[in-house]
Amino acid sequence: MLRFLAGKGVQYALVLLFAITLNFLLPRMMPGSPLVFLVGEDIGFMPAAQRAQIMREFGLDQALWRQYLIYLGNLAQGDLGFSYQQGRPIAEIILNRLPWTLLLVGLSLLLATLIGVTWGLLAAWRRGTSVDLGSLGVAMFFESTPSFWLGMIFIAVFAAGFGWFPIFGAQTIGVPLSGAAWVVDRLRHLALPMATLTLITIPGMFMIMRYAMLAVLDEQYVTTARSKGVAERRVIYGHAMRNALLPVATVFMLNLGTVVSGATVIETVFSYPGIGRLLFEAVLARDYPVIQATFFIVTVSVIGMNIIADLLYPIIDPRVRHAR
Amino acid sequence: MALRRWRLVMATLVAVLLLVPAAGIGQTPGSLRLAITRDEGHLNPYTYQTGYPGWNLMTLVYDTLFYPDANNEPIPWLVRSAQVSRDGLTWTLTLHPNIRWHDGRSLTSEDIKFTFEYVIKVAHSRWTPPARVIERVDAPNPTTVVFHLKNADAGFRLRALADVPILPKHIWESVTTVPAARALTNVVGSGPYMVAEAQPAQFYRLTANPQYFAGQPRVRELILPVIRDATVSFTALQAAQIEANVRTLAPELVAQFERLPGMKVVRGAGFASTLLQFNMEHPLLKDPKLRQAIANTINTRLMVRLLMLGFAVGGSPGYLHPDSPLYAPGVKFEANKAKAVALLNEAGYRDRNNDGIREAQDGTPLRFTLLTLAGNPIRIRGAELIRTWLRDVGIDTTVRVQEDAAIIDQVWPEFDVCKGRRFDMAVFGWSAPVMTRPTALRDLFHSDCNIGVLNIGGYKNPQIDRMGEQLAITVDPARQKQIATEMQKIVAQDLPVHVLFYPDTIMAYRQAGYDRWVFQKGQGIINKLSFVDPPK
Repeated sequence: MLRFLAGKGVQYALVLLFAITLNFLLPRMMPGSPLVFLVGEDIGFMPAAQRAQIMREFGLDQALWRQYLIYLGNLAQGDLGFSYQQGRPIAEIILNRLPWTLLLVGLSLLLATLIGVTWGLLAAWRRGTSVDLGSLGVAMFFESTPSFWLGMIFIAVFAAGFGWFPIFGAQTIGVPLSGAAWVVDRLRHLALPMATLTLITIPGMFMIMRYAMLAVLDEQYVTTARSKGVAERRVIYGHAMRNALLPVATVFMLNLGTVVSGATVIETVFSYPGIGRLLFEAVLARDYPVIQATFFIVTVSVIGMNIIADLLYPIIDPRVRHAR
Repeated sequence: MALRRWRLVMATLVAVLLLVPAAGIGQTPGSLRLAITRDEGHLNPYTYQTGYPGWNLMTLVYDTLFYPDANNEPIPWLVRSAQVSRDGLTWTLTLHPNIRWHDGRSLTSEDIKFTFEYVIKVAHSRWTPPARVIERVDAPNPTTVVFHLKNADAGFRLRALADVPILPKHIWESVTTVPAARALTNVVGSGPYMVAEAQPAQFYRLTANPQYFAGQPRVRELILPVIRDATVSFTALQAAQIEANVRTLAPELVAQFERLPGMKVVRGAGFASTLLQFNMEHPLLKDPKLRQAIANTINTRLMVRLLMLGFAVGGSPGYLHPDSPLYAPGVKFEANKAKAVALLNEAGYRDRNNDGIREAQDGTPLRFTLLTLAGNPIRIRGAELIRTWLRDVGIDTTVRVQEDAAIIDQVWPEFDVCKGRRFDMAVFGWSAPVMTRPTALRDLFHSDCNIGVLNIGGYKNPQIDRMGEQLAITVDPARQKQIATEMQKIVAQDLPVHVLFYPDTIMAYRQAGYDRWVFQKGQGIINKLSFVDPPK
């Protein structure tokens, strides 16, 4: 077990280093310069000497390999740097955005998994019936719906039309709230983006669960259980579902790793202050430090979730344990 | 059973969300919600990045010595009176008495002197260049400040005095580098509004400065939520979740918004431009005959109707908008396809191999790429129209749609005209401030890349160079207009750029929320004059 962990550790460290290097190089290979965001859009009026001075002050005049070493050094000390565009420390920016993203994407993923799994289970159980085929149709519809479009429809109907929900933002501005009112205010702002994200995430979970369940229901041990006279409910929940959940667990863990990368499109449509929007805006602004830091957090999170999945798998699937 | 309990929980949750009164959807009295497009940093002068509305918002917190009025004419603001020496080299300004910073300290001539010395030292693209003409600033007493210039400067009043935000010396003294200036969160200005709360990427909350020297601002609290998506921002306006929007209303929404009860749509000239930029270093496009022929195929009038639904003014060949102060009235351009064909034939561009595309005398086919900005559907459709019209006269163009940074990289590498260019033609545009600067024609067309810093096409004409240099040091308005008129006549002949149209500025707001907006020509309603009267 220890040797297994050590091997995995080296493997993950290499992946991390590779990812960090890519994070550093890719944004710098894009055309365009962060200069306009450092000094404003009238950059054309600035003489070359002054531009050079600014590049120097931000360390952008250094050779690429030196910038890379400085970046690695800072990262090792936990220093994520300063945003070119916003003039704020990146750690502060990310900490400010992360709770919103975790709330939105995390909750949606949980909800979508619960609903998708239950729904997939029911559809597989009723295989070939109108329930199954209808479900498949609905799932396909939401699977192929663009999230911005669904978001816009929700805004038009539930926020602008009925006036039940706010159209933008994550909280009410300028009205001090506390206690239950504070919570309700956040939830009201969360409702529409979360509903949108949940609805477009459900089909994936539904499909996986349905197919896994169908495969399991064809297994001989299920037939055996049924022929032994085990109650249908017990066959489904006790025998079939537990095995069908394995691929769902894998996908869930992978998704969990990407939760911190946010949901760019939905965060933009609903003006929700998450990490996805941060990353998108940073790319447009060539805000190298923010791009690097955000991708770094995402990488670490994905790798972390992979490690957890690796550790959990032998527990949820005894076959893996015995195979080793 | 479990399922039933779950249903109950869900139902209760939905009921609570719906029944609790819509906190925050309605307007609180005395406060005004104005949607902005993006995060504006700390709202400090060194996190400022873009012209409109960035500058207009930042100058709600900071003051300038002069301020552009509704016609963009600089009027005294912090300054009570100003005297300019006959040679234009010495500016003696007297400040209003009793101006205070938000922290209660007095604003004096020392702060003014400090600010201009500061922006010369700590580089910023907007504040530093116009201040370079300053030789020395004196502060003989707390309300008098004297600027000594190296040479007379046509743009000094508008671009330096009415533009550079005055910084409190006691706070900025210790901030000596650009990175430090961009990180400064202590946003103390002297303006009509103070930053009460700022949530990055979410909103700013500004409260009125009760001590403002020019009188109480008319709105007690300004809430500026960042709404990223344009459509959503107008939906929010329609649903009364905001009262105004910094964005220009899209042409297709105008009729609908004009019909909405309680909604007011104001519109007027827009000083931003949409134009066809030529690369004058291109072996074919350097020929003015070819550029004229291309311009003659483009029906800008139809473009205004099709793309802007009429909410734009057709381009003027001398670059300047008919409503801008230095516009030369006689300079006109009428597109004529027959003339385009005649010009092409005359200049020897003929289809020599019968492939439908004309060739130059050396056999090079007239094939060009036309760059345009992704995310701007109007420009993309404009580029497509140009492609079709050029095809009709035997010129082949490929439209290439790219994101902003990629376009800049080819058209204006590193925003430095001296770095050259790698494109044929581009549908491009300049923002409103380029139009109002008295030196615009020099900035756009001077052939020295250190002077013609916006001459992205590499246009060269010694006559224009001479006149441009003259224009920049001319302080007399009548003489300025004379020079500018001559320059526009030459530009209209040479066509280094072909202005397609100037989109109108169309803005919408809810009258019940606030109705005392001032429409600033070419820019819009987001300005200080909308909230305070000019100081008396």
